[in-house]
Amino acid sequence: MLNKFDIQIREGQEHAVIETAGYLNDALGEQLSEKARELIQNGHTQLVINLEKTTLINSIGISILIEIIEALEEREGTLNFCGLSATQERTFKMMALAKYAGIFPDEESAIANL
Amino acid sequence: MKDPSKSLGANLQTPKPQSTAEQTMERLIFSLSELEHLGQTLISGHTNFNHSSKTYLRITLGTLQIRRGAILRYHPTQQNLDVVAVTPDEVFPPVPVEPDELTALLQHAFIENATPPESLKQFFERSAKLADVIDIRLWVPLKIQDEFLGMIGLGKFLARDTLEAWEKELLTTLAHQISIAIAYSQMVEGIQSEKFRLFMLAESAPQICQLLQPEEAAEQVVHQAVSLLDANAGALMLTNIDQQELKMNYAFPETLLERTTGTDSGNGLVIPYSEDASTSQELTSKNVLKSVVTEGLPGHCPPESDTLFGGRNLMAVPIPGRDGDVLGILIVGDKEERGGSITAFTDEDVILLDSFAKQAGVAIENARLHQEALEARQLQAEMEEARKIQENLIPDMLPDIPGYEVAGHYEPRGPVGGDYYDCIALPTGRWGLAIADVSGKGMQAALLMATLRAGLISELSRVRNGVGEEADDTTPTHNPLYAEIADMAMTLNSLLYASGTEEKYATFFYSHLNPETDILTTLNAGHNPPLLVRKDGTYKWLGEDVGGIPLGMFPNDMVTNIAEYEAEHVQLISGDVVVYYTDGVTETVNVEDDYYDEERLVEASIACKDEDAEGIRASLHKAVMDFQGEADQFDDLTLLILRKK
Repeated sequence: MLNKFDIQIREGQEHAVIETAGYLNDALGEQLSEKARELIQNGHTQLVINLEKTTLINSIGISILIEIIEALEEREGTLNFCGLSATQERTFKMMALAKYAGIFPDEESAIANL
Repeated sequence: MKDPSKSLGANLQTPKPQSTAEQTMERLIFSLSELEHLGQTLISGHTNFNHSSKTYLRITLGTLQIRRGAILRYHPTQQNLDVVAVTPDEVFPPVPVEPDELTALLQHAFIENATPPESLKQFFERSAKLADVIDIRLWVPLKIQDEFLGMIGLGKFLARDTLEAWEKELLTTLAHQISIAIAYSQMVEGIQSEKFRLFMLAESAPQICQLLQPEEAAEQVVHQAVSLLDANAGALMLTNIDQQELKMNYAFPETLLERTTGTDSGNGLVIPYSEDASTSQELTSKNVLKSVVTEGLPGHCPPESDTLFGGRNLMAVPIPGRDGDVLGILIVGDKEERGGSITAFTDEDVILLDSFAKQAGVAIENARLHQEALEARQLQAEMEEARKIQENLIPDMLPDIPGYEVAGHYEPRGPVGGDYYDCIALPTGRWGLAIADVSGKGMQAALLMATLRAGLISELSRVRNGVGEEADDTTPTHNPLYAEIADMAMTLNSLLYASGTEEKYATFFYSHLNPETDILTTLNAGHNPPLLVRKDGTYKWLGEDVGGIPLGMFPNDMVTNIAEYEAEHVQLISGDVVVYYTDGVTETVNVEDDYYDEERLVEASIACKDEDAEGIRASLHKAVMDFQGEADQFDDLTLLILRKK
């Protein structure tokens, strides 16, 4: 799964879901950042990032996620994460991402809590 | 607080314009207020300068009453200036900065765009597009001491051609604040990165130590190492100490080895590291990996010397085992930076990976031990099953043969042995006595033994047993029983050869007893020749001269060419004793490493020949045990005694 490298977007009425697959490093992170920027510019300030198919993240990936949180904060938007492994959830809490974004077990609950 | 750059337009509509002093005061108050706000932002956890740079630009332009401008942030590894904030909002490519230009930029507090110093002319040409669009008039280098951090580009000043002295002082203060923000951001980014790495190290180490499957442990070790080091690739190679080889165990990404040249690809990558494998001192990734194993120290390989992974910047550390051996090496490749550039691994990276490798060693050994324990449990269960099978193959009681006594003894070395004996009543009133020694131990041996026994019983139920024809004619070609027994041996050979794996075979000795004539017809397939001890104390070895090769060792057509199975017979008389045995008897070793041997067997057999069969069995067993003394028993011990009353 880590060798697959992909980003899928699912746009709803008032929200959008970005699903990543592969190692969330600079390369995938930049793609994610670009997609998030486009969605925010198009008025989607309620975002869900589904990391179920991303089991590995490095520090650059984390910094890119922080940037997305900050960009959404500027627009008074909301970001929820879902599909995190137990380690990722602990990492997000430790890196303070969980302070500014919600963490939910699945996409459905992440969307419902936007 | 109102933005004074915006209030300027609003002021035009007000009936009572502000005085210059009032405007200046308002700009200063605005600037101070915004700086305080930024200070709060800086310490509130929002650390990303690229994000807050727009606010810094807005404050700067507002304070100085300038409509257009840009903030550029310098990236040392990429050696360029990234346009992080610009008014009007537009995207500009990064502006490269040459090293000598850096020195020049550090020497100026302000640079007029129209009259750049000679040393910066080329830099200004490269930034011309940005300068044109923004209509940049003045550049302010951002720096703290000798560290260049970026630049502010300011557009046309409203209602004036130059900045006043106090405005330049204010601009210097703002530039300093922005420089601090960049430095702080860099520092926090570094701390965050280290915090992430230390957390991941603390988090991942116990996790990988809990993984019980070696494959899963290897995969996680590589993935965590790649993540910890911000690398793009990683691999785990394990040592084979006996072969003095490093073998690829897991590589990430899967395509890592596709670029491998000059050697095996995929998981087949093997690097011999013995001293005589290669004495080349050339700096290649292969030699670096070898030295990591042989010297037990971390190693680096620059991209231009990497011939294994397609030109990557590599770092490798040894994975230590509990007993000090090097279990393998952990390799990471191409440390990435924000923006996609590849940078060199640092000394701190080496320490981090080395620490992780120690945990990886524990994880790999734990997984191996678990695997071994599982295999041992599986083997134990298999042995138990095999023991049950074998218990059913060895007769509990031996039958009464008219005019004869029979006694058997079977003592396996472990839970499951490879010996077999039997005494089978034939429909014709004859008796078949068999003894065999199956190679190997455990389930395979038990199954081979079961196959042999099933085949033997099947064959004995089919053959005519040479009824009425075996008595007198001793010429093999004219004795139907000889032929039948030899055919049976060929059938059993074929059966075992087809069912057994390589190295699986059985030595086998078969005796066909006619209790009416007391003729014992025998065939030997590679077994220890049984001992016939006569009443008068003389003895002879049965099947010593006409033995064939063990069953199942070769296919029938080869057996025909090598040594055909041949039968012979012997006439028994009252008091004769036949001692059948397996090599566990004659190869019993005492504490002085002497073999019990055939000579002692003859001696002991003659000594007890006048006892009944059970007494002979007990005496021979005691003789062997007495000889063995405190020494270990290495093989199954089997005896079958046939005595003519």
